[in-house]
Amino acid sequence: MAKIHGSSKSSQILLIAAQVLALIALVLGLQFLVNTTGGTLFLFSSGAPMLVFAAVAILIGVAIYKYNTSHHLFDIESYEPGDIVFHEGDVGECAYFIHSGEVEVIREHQGQQQVIARLGKDQYFGEMALLTNNRRNATIRAASKVRVAALGKKNFMTLLSVLPGTKEDILKTVQARAMAQVGGRR
Amino acid sequence: MRRSLVFAMTVGAVCASAQQSDSVAFHTDPVEVWGTRFLITVICIGIAVLLFTMIKYRGRTTGAVSWGLLIAGIGIVPMVSTGFGTLLVFDRAERVEFCASCHLTMQGFVDDMKNPKSESLAAIHFKNKFIPDNQCYVCHTSYGMFGTVEAKMSGLVDVYKYYTRTFHKPIMMRGPYPNHDCLKCHAESALWLKHDEHIQAKADLFADKVKCLDCHGASNPAHTLNEKVAMR
Repeated sequence: MAKIHGSSKSSQILLIAAQVLALIALVLGLQFLVNTTGGTLFLFSSGAPMLVFAAVAILIGVAIYKYNTSHHLFDIESYEPGDIVFHEGDVGECAYFIHSGEVEVIREHQGQQQVIARLGKDQYFGEMALLTNNRRNATIRAASKVRVAALGKKNFMTLLSVLPGTKEDILKTVQARAMAQVGGRR
Repeated sequence: MRRSLVFAMTVGAVCASAQQSDSVAFHTDPVEVWGTRFLITVICIGIAVLLFTMIKYRGRTTGAVSWGLLIAGIGIVPMVSTGFGTLLVFDRAERVEFCASCHLTMQGFVDDMKNPKSESLAAIHFKNKFIPDNQCYVCHTSYGMFGTVEAKMSGLVDVYKYYTRTFHKPIMMRGPYPNHDCLKCHAESALWLKHDEHIQAKADLFADKVKCLDCHGASNPAHTLNEKVAMR
């Protein structure tokens, strides 16, 4: 199974940890309600609030991290071969500009994953979801060791508004890729 | 998602009905009964939501629905359950059955209290229903809001010692029994005022300089435990 990038993986692990802590707190509560003894009362009254506090703190921390990510200026990210940058169907939070290396653009068609394009140095991806407010229309996987500059949605839209030339260039690329997709489906 | 919710509510209903099965008292507290059922159902729904989110999303956040489920499962349900559950903690910690659940240390005292043949102060109060409910708690806590907090804090230490088996037998109170735990019911009642000794020693009794048990404990000890039970 392809690896997912470090910072996304950390937030995933943290969210799962928060859910496990909340689950334990709820189980302690259920145990206390169904069978009240000194032990179950002690665990529920002492342990459950600490677990809930920790879980909520983790949730808030991850939410703040995700919010900052979507409003970030460039964030340099590195991926190993096989790492997934984002999945088809994910919510788009950033556009990515390739500094070095190559990525594969993968789409699922009739249950099969197909590589429909490869992108390299000085190219970009992930802009369509930001422009159309739709979900990611492809999965991006690192084909080699890749370094990208991730630009959060808010700053990406600001960039387009202050640099009309860049906006035109990006819109042409979006159009060309959309035409290629349609051509590929026929 | 729908199946998970139905499952959660079924489990909640089963747990709530199981809990009710042994209470055949002539009166029950409807707030406690319905509050328990409500909490059990909410907790089961919370568990179902968390399991569903963990299996479906595996820590990924893919939009408003995933965030909503996370906030509900990690934040809202646990906080509501813990908050309302704490009210039940205070209520249930006062029950005789709860005290008796530490059976290695407290069972002897509870058995003595419930023994109709015992002439200990605890048994006299119990069999005559001088204290209608929560007899252990009524005598073994101090009057007022801070009394209950103090009692709970002492109780937590006792729970810790019980489960770490660091208690020592025979079980003794931490300090002398305070007069105000007798006087909160008895002071200046008609029967109390009938006895001149009470009136003469009133100031000392109220100041805890003269102990109620100095006189009353001699003829009727607070609890009667034979040595075998006390050291078991």
